[in-house]
Amino acid sequence: MQLVGLIWPCNGLNRRLSENLNRRDGLNLTSIPTKNIRNFCIIAHIDHGKSTLADRMLESTGTVENRNQKTQLLDDMELERARGITIKARAVAMKYRLGETTYELNLIDTPGHVDFQYEVSRSMACCEGALLVVDAFQGVEAQTVANTYAAVDQELTILPVINKIDLQNARVDEIIAEIEQTLGIDGTEAMPVSAKTGVGIDDLLTTIIERVPAPVGDPDGPLQAMVFDSHYDAYRGVITYVRVINGRLRRGEKIRFLRGGSTHELMEVGQFRPQQIACDELSAGQVGYVICNIKSLSQVHVGDTIGTVKHSAEPLTGYKEPNRMVYCGLYPSDGQDFSELRDALNKLAINDPSFEFEPETSDALGFGFRCGFLGLLHMEIVQQRLEQESSVDLVQTAPNVTYEIALTTGKVLEIHKPQDVPNVGDIEEFRQPIVRVNFVLPVEYIGSTIKLCQDRRGIRQGTEYLSPTRAMLTYDLPLAEVIYDLHDKLKSATRGYGTMDYELLGYFPADLVKLDMLVNGKCVDALSVICHRADADRRGRAVAKKLKSEIERHMFEVAVQAAIGSRVIARETVPALRKNVTAKCYGGDISRKKKLWAKQREGKKRMKSIGKVDIPQKAFMAVLDTGQE
Amino acid sequence: MVPLWQRPPRAVYLHVPFCRRRCGYCNFTLVAGRSDLIQPYLDSIALEMAAYDDLPCQVDTIFLGGGTPSQVRDDHWRQLAAMLHRNFPLSADGEWSVEVNPEDVDRGYLEQLRTDGVTRVSLGVQSLSDDKLRTLEREHTGQQARDAIQLAIDIMDTVSADLIFAAPNETLSRWKDDLASVIDLGVDHISTYGLTFEQGAAFWSQRGKGLLKTVGEELELDMYLLAIESLIGAGFEHYEISNFARPGNRCRHNECYWTGATYHAIGPGAARHLKGRRETNHRSTTEYLRRLQEGRSPVAESDEADDRERALEVLVFGLRRIDGVDRDWFLANTGFNLDDLGGQALQEYRGEGWLQDDGRRIALSRRGLVISDSLWGRLLAS
Repeated sequence: MQLVGLIWPCNGLNRRLSENLNRRDGLNLTSIPTKNIRNFCIIAHIDHGKSTLADRMLESTGTVENRNQKTQLLDDMELERARGITIKARAVAMKYRLGETTYELNLIDTPGHVDFQYEVSRSMACCEGALLVVDAFQGVEAQTVANTYAAVDQELTILPVINKIDLQNARVDEIIAEIEQTLGIDGTEAMPVSAKTGVGIDDLLTTIIERVPAPVGDPDGPLQAMVFDSHYDAYRGVITYVRVINGRLRRGEKIRFLRGGSTHELMEVGQFRPQQIACDELSAGQVGYVICNIKSLSQVHVGDTIGTVKHSAEPLTGYKEPNRMVYCGLYPSDGQDFSELRDALNKLAINDPSFEFEPETSDALGFGFRCGFLGLLHMEIVQQRLEQESSVDLVQTAPNVTYEIALTTGKVLEIHKPQDVPNVGDIEEFRQPIVRVNFVLPVEYIGSTIKLCQDRRGIRQGTEYLSPTRAMLTYDLPLAEVIYDLHDKLKSATRGYGTMDYELLGYFPADLVKLDMLVNGKCVDALSVICHRADADRRGRAVAKKLKSEIERHMFEVAVQAAIGSRVIARETVPALRKNVTAKCYGGDISRKKKLWAKQREGKKRMKSIGKVDIPQKAFMAVLDTGQE
Repeated sequence: MVPLWQRPPRAVYLHVPFCRRRCGYCNFTLVAGRSDLIQPYLDSIALEMAAYDDLPCQVDTIFLGGGTPSQVRDDHWRQLAAMLHRNFPLSADGEWSVEVNPEDVDRGYLEQLRTDGVTRVSLGVQSLSDDKLRTLEREHTGQQARDAIQLAIDIMDTVSADLIFAAPNETLSRWKDDLASVIDLGVDHISTYGLTFEQGAAFWSQRGKGLLKTVGEELELDMYLLAIESLIGAGFEHYEISNFARPGNRCRHNECYWTGATYHAIGPGAARHLKGRRETNHRSTTEYLRRLQEGRSPVAESDEADDRERALEVLVFGLRRIDGVDRDWFLANTGFNLDDLGGQALQEYRGEGWLQDDGRRIALSRRGLVISDSLWGRLLAS
């Protein structure tokens, strides 16, 4: 029987198909001894061909047939497909025969974006090896570097793969030199492949078996299984992705999440091949999934350890709570839609445990929610989903990063919105997140990139030449300076050739202030920002100017001021409307004017009134104007 | 008490859509260079009048606006006048206005109007400066306008002149000259309009492309204030936002619009107010003709408000009159207490100094006058 019309994710039909398949073939991958298992991931810069390579391996191992493939099988949600970014990790078990032995190759897919760094680290913790895929033309890029370092940290065996060797302008030798130079990996080990044409794939599979170490767990030891991902299935509840480190996961047994503390019965265990196929047990070294009738993703934490209910082993190390780095306010345009927005956010949170939200009130915007995200990309993804899945019109406030404030009392506050910054007198130390950013770019753009970083208070950590034409610059920068527009600015400063990636170093003290915006003397809470004191003047002027251009003239003068505490640092004035009188008004004009005024009233409803001043929604993003060219 | 909007009409407006050509600033209902449509038009307005069951209806005022009513001449004019005499007989001491373009004026024409009962002509002078007239794409010269005014003063009871200010490149002193000349010529009434850029007019797109330079808000305001000062100084009464008259020469017809009265209206794009309902005929002349020839109604839009809304309309449009609105008059003619109706908005406008209030009457202050369009929307929503 063939798998016809395989789609992903599995629905009811596929489940039935897979159950049939299981019975008929009598497949039993679980009988494979630990020494014949290889667990690996692929790390690559975006568009270097990770997903295509994965597809090709699935095909070469007979896991799927070519004609049943939807391109890039490992990317699931439509949104990910649309953005070409893998957001959620996935795992596929492949069977591959080499000589007389059948091996189980588990490919664990990792998200490529820095927002999902923690998930990357947990996925890698489930592997013994990593394929480092580098585009034969593009060469080593910033994400390649960051992910390789992460793999080195996890002590994975790294197999360099040069992909797209079929390209006319492939420069394999130079790329090998770059890999050696930047990553310190022996270039002679690099395997040239073309995921597109299939050249080199069989050699690659052989090399994986030969070079990636087998897992070292004990199938008869106390159960320890690492949770590295989960997703929500509307029919089956939470599907939890696991790597068994020691012991066995058997269907029907009771397990416990050692960090989360909840206890469940294993209703099903199985593997993705790539569709879900149930089996009796997963033993040490294996990668698969468990289903235990859990209704919310919030109960399953990436990095948690599954153990037995009684006499359980120690949880595995490396567990962290999701780290929300970026916050913004989301408000319904129409206050009536508040509960509708809450329902939509609830629905999203079920599918995305790293997104959080709580109700907040703004004097300016009314009732809404403060939402926390792993990063800016994550924020954009959540917003897009909200737009696709609900009909609520949103007002979004400018995003801000999380700050730490040490109070004179010794207490430390975590600040998620500028409004929460306490009085200056109560602050002992104001700290901001600093990230280490690696830029990889052609050498002729070093100057413009250095300027970009200096303008943003970056501290240079080093410059390395990857080759005579390409370099890697490393800067420590405030995250706040990075998230807003650094990526866009880098792209324009390097004509699209520069790439960047970053990792969080921690919170460091800085001379930060809360910059308030006042409209006719009233502080508009939703417009406050936190910025460096030395930038406050420029920022304040820029935002005041921007607001002036967004606010229509009123019948009175509107003063727009930027202030730190009680000190006004910038002022713009929207002059009063001097003349607004239409000359003609005779018989036919009466109906016409009535319509016009009704229309104007509708327009006003979509604005937010601060005192008597109407502020258009667009203006609430004005605070992103940094005043820099 | 029968409120204003339920009373029988005492006025009629007739729209005459013909022009030689369309001026750059105009987006009015008109057809340019189609004098061949005059006879079908006369036939159609006859059909439209025939459809009313309350005609003949005696009226106190008739207004022929356009377009260019003075394009309808000789036999066509006689047909038109006869139709009006038959259907809308003018009361003794009634007012009959006709809009006339200076280039159409000659003694014979004006005498014909007078003979047929017209009491008042409104001349589309716009300016007495040739440059400005060219900019505005008018058909006449400054001298033609002067001659037309003098001849009209000679023959008609009341002569009004329309003037446009804030034309592209116009200066304050040029505008001052225009005002002084028209005052000197001795007209009884002046309507003056700041040039507006309307969608559908040629100037709209020219301005969009940067081909026309507007004078700017400050200068336009100064020009408006200059007009008020000069005309009041010359003995005119400023009686509506853009209308000025020597004592006893106000346009009674136009005052109907601002006091909430009912009125008949005939012709393409004409708007009527009857039995509490506002209706507008189709603005396309050819569609108007077609509909009537096919026995269909020419009405394209219709708007029926409730009494409260109607009373608010009376208040808003009444405040365009410089005399403002008298509380007793308002109660007697609408059945609503003005202060209850206007509530918070009126109170706020008084507080801001946009309205003056002597206890009996509320009226726009000078400060309120110049920004009055910003006041109506909220008042109407009270």
